Parts: sequence; structure tokens; C-alpha cells
Amino acid sequence: MIEFQNVTKRYPGGYDALSNVSLHLAEGEMAFLTGHSGAGKSTLLKIISLIEKPTRGIAQLDKINLKTISRHRVPYLRRKIGIIFQEHHLLFDRSVFDNVALPLIIQGYRHQEIAKRTRAALDKVGLLNKEKSMPVTLSGGEQQRVGIARAVVHKPMLLLADEPTGNLDPVLSREIMQIFLDFNQVGVSVLVASHDLILIDELQKPVLTLNQGKMIHNDLNRDQYDQEVGGFRSPQVNEFSTGNW
Amino acid sequence: MRTSNRRRGRPATSNKLVAYLLHHIQSLVFSLGKIYHSPITTIMTVAVIGITLSLPGGFYLFLKNINAMSGDIRSTTQITLYLDIKLNEQKARALERAISKTGNVVSTEFISRQASLQAFRETSGFGRSIDTLSSNPLPHTIIVEPVSSADTFAVKNLLNALQAMPEVKIAKLDTEWLERLYTILEIAKRSVVIVTILFSIAVLLVIGNTIRLDIQNRRQEIIVTKLIGATNAFIRRPFLYGGIWYGLLGGLMSWLIVEIGYLAIAGPLNRLNLLYQADLMLITFTFQDFIILVSSSTLLGLTGSWIAVARHLNQIEPT
Repeated sequence: MIEFQNVTKRYPGGYDALSNVSLHLAEGEMAFLTGHSGAGKSTLLKIISLIEKPTRGIAQLDKINLKTISRHRVPYLRRKIGIIFQEHHLLFDRSVFDNVALPLIIQGYRHQEIAKRTRAALDKVGLLNKEKSMPVTLSGGEQQRVGIARAVVHKPMLLLADEPTGNLDPVLSREIMQIFLDFNQVGVSVLVASHDLILIDELQKPVLTLNQGKMIHNDLNRDQYDQEVGGFRSPQVNEFSTGNW
Repeated sequence: MRTSNRRRGRPATSNKLVAYLLHHIQSLVFSLGKIYHSPITTIMTVAVIGITLSLPGGFYLFLKNINAMSGDIRSTTQITLYLDIKLNEQKARALERAISKTGNVVSTEFISRQASLQAFRETSGFGRSIDTLSSNPLPHTIIVEPVSSADTFAVKNLLNALQAMPEVKIAKLDTEWLERLYTILEIAKRSVVIVTILFSIAVLLVIGNTIRLDIQNRRQEIIVTKLIGATNAFIRRPFLYGGIWYGLLGGLMSWLIVEIGYLAIAGPLNRLNLLYQADLMLITFTFQDFIILVSSSTLLGLTGSWIAVARHLNQIEPT
């Protein structure tokens, strides 16, 4: 799903936000990205979500080179990703339903399909009863869950989350993480940037650690070879693709 | 990739056209809704456009009226012959018949001394004082209509020939003021073109600026929609429809302003008509004029928003 080979991101002025980072997140896999602030977590996520381009090295998403992709194709590749922001970036001039439905409207789904999928996504994050509310009336945790519903409503192949629990208390954080685990269970690849080490430890998922732009710890490397040869398929993947959540 | 399977719910190609059209309609309604929800901004923008466009519109209408009036004058270019005062009516009438048979003359009209006096008595307001005159000071008059008023050379020749007649005291063709009028009209026409161009640019700038502010206000929304995979065309659409609405409403407003102005003028003009016994019919916008005004205003709206969108939308990228 995500393939980085010796990726370096150099910002103007010669500062390397990432240097020689390699990683491989297979389809259906879930991993945590940790590191101090300024370690390069955000830059890595920005490269995957096509906000930044790598300076050197090869970065691929779904076998598409993120450096050479044409401007015109960027929106279509982004539709394969669901992004969850720390600041959740909800649009406050419209209801929860309209916020969550936005990716489907962008992709030109039909009206009935939009209603069905939006309600399913809201149900998944436990906010079906809030569909008519305005985001400003929701609590921080609820807003974050609306952001998650919006990120998953179009059934992306990959979920990216940047400090999704940054502003939440431990109980809410655990709830949010559980939602990610659930999506991973049904075959969605998940990459979560977080510095909540205690919570990450509990969840028993591979961890990538960045320090000053370098990958200093990479759990994904252990079985990388197997995945590349065999291709990773889990039974849940098929369940997801036929499921009608 | 298991693309086909997982992406099953995606719209098929046949549905994509429907979805595309549907989004156009959604953008149209959405932009109208935005206009509805921010009435002050909208009213101000529309008023600026309406007032701006009413100037060239009104100027154009004014010119059209002058043109219509001068058209009347043009078709009735006449040579007036004031005959020798000693000539009796019988001889004068014979002269009229003779002139009417010469070439380059379409028609003639004979006005006797008595008829002239009568008309003068009625229209000049000197009624009583005229009665005190011992004799009628007015000569017999023949009005000659040349064959073609546009051919000034032929008309001048005719004038000279008539002037040369011994019975004719004065032959008068007042072409100079007509030429002046036409020159003034030409200047006015070009002024209308200049004013229209300048004010159209002003409308472009006003709409462009309004849309630019709108884009800046919705910067966050644009970034979010870009991050969840919106194409530039998708983001552009509501702004372009916004420009179209501003242009359309502004055009309608300018039409309304000019029509109200017309109504305000119509009263005094009718009185003027009575005073001069003239038949000045004020011309207002035809349906065609109306369509041209509103559609070009709408086009200006689209162009203005297009320029703003092209300049500012691409600058907004997620960081």
C-alpha cells in the first residue's frame, strides 16, 4: 500500500525533514508512527497524502509514484485515502451529515447512495443520532469521530491519521483507537501518527519511530520480505468488500 | 488491487454524466443559497453592478431616441421657397406645378400667403397684433421635397436651380445644422462605446473582487475539499455560478434602473410634446435590448469570477 525507499525530504534552506526513510506498509496492515514533534511524522504523512513531494528516493502509494504523479491525477489518488486530522477540519457552516457526505458528493455518488453510506459511516462512529447537528454543538471527541466518519465514508483503501487523539482524554483516545482497529479488522490499511506511547503499547501493532528525520525503529521490516513475495491477504478483507456496513 | 470489488458502489460511467449534471445543478442552487444567506453583501454587489451598467444602458437608450428623432428629420429634408411678395396666387400655383414636374423633386406643397398668416396667427401667440397689420407681410411659399436627401450634391444642384428662378426670393435648405447634429451623434455614439467598455471593465473588477473575497473566506473549506479528493473543476464551479448570479441580478437591476429613469422622464416629455405639438415618442428597451443587456451582464459575471478563480484558487493548496 505504502512503499518508501530511501525517501528524503529537504525543505528550502537545506533542512532535511526526512532523510533516507524506507518503509513498507502492506495492504490491510496497521502501524503506528511515533517520534517527538519535529521528528518528521507530519512530513511523512504529507508525502503520502500528496501535500508534499519527496526530494529524493521513491515514494509509492498503491504502486503510483508520488513524485512524478501529474497534478491532474492528484485528486483521484487522494480519494483512495481517508485522512483524519488532529484539528479534524470540519466545515462549521453545514450539518454533521453534510460534512460526512462531502467525499461522496465530490466523487459524484447518487443521492440515495450518499444518504445510505453517510448514515452507515455515522452509525459506525456512534453518531447516527447527531446527523442533523451542527459540528459546533458537538464535544471534541464527537467532532473527531465526525472527522473519522468523513474519512471512511467512501471506503478508502488507506486511513491516515495525524495525532487523532492529541486533544482527547485517555478514555476517548482509547475509543478512537478502537474505531481504527475495527476498520483495520475489515481490511483497511491504517497508519496512525501518535505520540501516545502508552496507548500504542497496549494495542500491539507494528511501530515506526522517527527521530530527527531518520527511521530509528521499524517493526514493519521484520516481515517485509514475506509480504513482498507472498502478498498479504487476510480473510477479513473479503468480508469488508462484500460487507454493507 | 481488488479495485473492481471494493469500488463496486462507485457510480458507473453512464451515471457519471448524470452525477456531473447533478453537481452543476447543486452548485447552481448552492451558490444561490449562499447569495440568499448573505443578503447584504449580495445586495451591495448587485447594486454596484446595476448602477454601473445602468449608465451605458441609459446612455444607449438616450442615443437611440436621438437617432430615431434625427431619422425623422433626415427623411423630411426640404427646400423652402419664399416667393416674391408681388407674385399673385395664380402665378405662384403655376410655378409650383412647374417645379413639381422637374427632375429630382418628389413632391411639392403650396402654402398660400393667407394660409401662412393663419398658421402664424395660431401658433405664434401674436394673434391680436397680427390683425393690426395693414397688409399680409408673408409671401406665398412652396415646400419642395428633393428626391434623395442623402445625395447632398443633387440636393445642392436643385437648390441652386431653384434659387436662380426670378420668382423665387429665397430658397432655403438648412443642411448645416443637420450635419452638426450628425457629427454630435457620432461623437455620442463613440462615447457610448467608450463608456460601455470602461464600465464593463469596472463590473469585471467588482465581480472579480467579490469572488476573490469569497474564495479567501472559504479558504479552509477549499483546503479540506482538496484533501478529500476534490478536483479543481469541482471547487471552481460554485464560484463561477456565484459570478453568473451576480452578473444576472446586476443586469436585471440596471434594466430596472433605466426603466424607472425612463418613467421619471416620460411625464415632462409628454408635456414638452404638447407644448411643441411635436410627436416625440420616447423609445424604451426592446425585448432584444433587454436580452442583450442581461446576457452580457451575466457573461461579465462569469468572466470576472473566472479571472478571480484562475488567479486565486490555484494558490490555495493544503500545507
